[in-house]
Amino acid sequence: MRLLLATPLYPPDIAEPAPYTKELARRLAPFHEVTVLTYGHLPEKVEGVRIVAIDKRAPLVLRLVRYTKALMREWHKADVLYTQNGPSVELPIALARVWVRKPLFIRLGDTAAHQYASRHLLRSMLETLALRSAQSVDAPYLQKPEILPFTPRPNSELATWEHSWQKHLEQLQKKFDHV
Amino acid sequence: MSDLTPLKNTLTSLGFTLEAEQPHLLGERHLTRPLGGGHKWLLLGRNVQGQRVVIKASNEPMGVAEIVRERECRRVLHVIYFAYGVFLSPKEILFTTKDGYTVLVTEFVEAKPFLERPLEEQFTLALKAFKAQESAHATTSSHVRLIRGTFDELHATDYLKKINTYAHEVVPHATFKDASDFLSQHQEVIEQYCNFLTHWDLTPQNMRVVGDSIYLLDHSSLHFGNKYEGWARFINFMTLYNPLLAHALVQYVRDNRTPEESLALKCMRLYRLGELVRYYVGWLEHTEGNLRKLAQIRIIFWDTVLQAVLHDAEVPGETIEHYKKTRDTLRSEEEKKRQVNLH
Repeated sequence: MRLLLATPLYPPDIAEPAPYTKELARRLAPFHEVTVLTYGHLPEKVEGVRIVAIDKRAPLVLRLVRYTKALMREWHKADVLYTQNGPSVELPIALARVWVRKPLFIRLGDTAAHQYASRHLLRSMLETLALRSAQSVDAPYLQKPEILPFTPRPNSELATWEHSWQKHLEQLQKKFDHV
Repeated sequence: MSDLTPLKNTLTSLGFTLEAEQPHLLGERHLTRPLGGGHKWLLLGRNVQGQRVVIKASNEPMGVAEIVRERECRRVLHVIYFAYGVFLSPKEILFTTKDGYTVLVTEFVEAKPFLERPLEEQFTLALKAFKAQESAHATTSSHVRLIRGTFDELHATDYLKKINTYAHEVVPHATFKDASDFLSQHQEVIEQYCNFLTHWDLTPQNMRVVGDSIYLLDHSSLHFGNKYEGWARFINFMTLYNPLLAHALVQYVRDNRTPEESLALKCMRLYRLGELVRYYVGWLEHTEGNLRKLAQIRIIFWDTVLQAVLHDAEVPGETIEHYKKTRDTLRSEEEKKRQVNLH
């Protein structure tokens, strides 16, 4: 399956949904053809994953236009678009959706952006527009437990984290299989 | 600027008295100003309520510029909307110009010396400080607009240019051409982790820990650059003062971050060690007697550390102990006094 993962943030950005998207791409890559579309200058590489990065240093309007164009191009090629929320992705999706009619899944992983949207009319409208006819993916993301010196390796927490990923991947696969 | 009396009178008229002991006027302190940097007084005093304060003052244009810049850095630091972490800085009590002096007075943050804390606590605190800085990542044009003009920005090309200059300048006292070549080979990795807030001089003397809160001092040393630059300075420092902590921090990056990040840390450690060697080579021109000998042994020691980092080796404990012993015999009594509780 050809999967397009759209995200506003991606490592070396540190805030969510950056680490989630990278981890997901890494785990999906052995089984699918994965492309990540993000903003960034020098995104971290993942073996077997194609990364399309729109330079964030360009002025806002220009980078939104570039992202929208790239989204339309990549979405055409993909079977499924799986996106993370955030206005810098929602606006391009709302625009691209006029031309591209392919399955769209969304995860509201950036809770701060989602909460902000619920308080601001324009942002709320944008989110609603992007989400229309999108299937939502419920995935409470567990942050990877840190391995710290002077403390025993957190084996149990790492196992829980791994288990949550397996469950999440199964859930995603089921959703994707139904398109 | 050796006579403190006129400034003392100005401070008295502003309601501040100086403490009898002024650790920042002792020993090698006069040599620690950055080359090309301005001259400013760094003093400890008390206000009329008896509250301990830190006073920075200068009547030289470059020193004044540094004080003004530090104040502006602190102001902007608190309005960086794209940072996820919280930055604490000592409260400003007074900023004024009087009798030709620009004076900045901030509260003195009392804290237990960092190195007196248990090793695990040192690790936790250092990591917290690094993470707070990393949370400020200037990636978009509007972020850059906010910081530009206040904070310096360093990119891979700047680091490379500097390390090449240092490598050229230190010959024949040391040679780290291999280090400079290593940085050239990994230019993209260095750039990948640029645009993060980082403290050029992140050592325990520029941190105060009160409870769970970390105060960052010397805001003029903050800039946007490779996120491991501050880590590198701290780890290099700890190679001498607490090798176990240095090792733990390097291991943390290996265990929890990408291989590219470990590489970026190594590059930054090499860069900062090159800078340190070059700094002490700069001392050779201005010093004589024991101070000159001190500079010489420091060049040798830090060049040894640089070679060890380059080859992913540990610096032998005996080398560190031998260096410390020799350094202490060469240090003046004043400098030994200044060093007490400094870190």
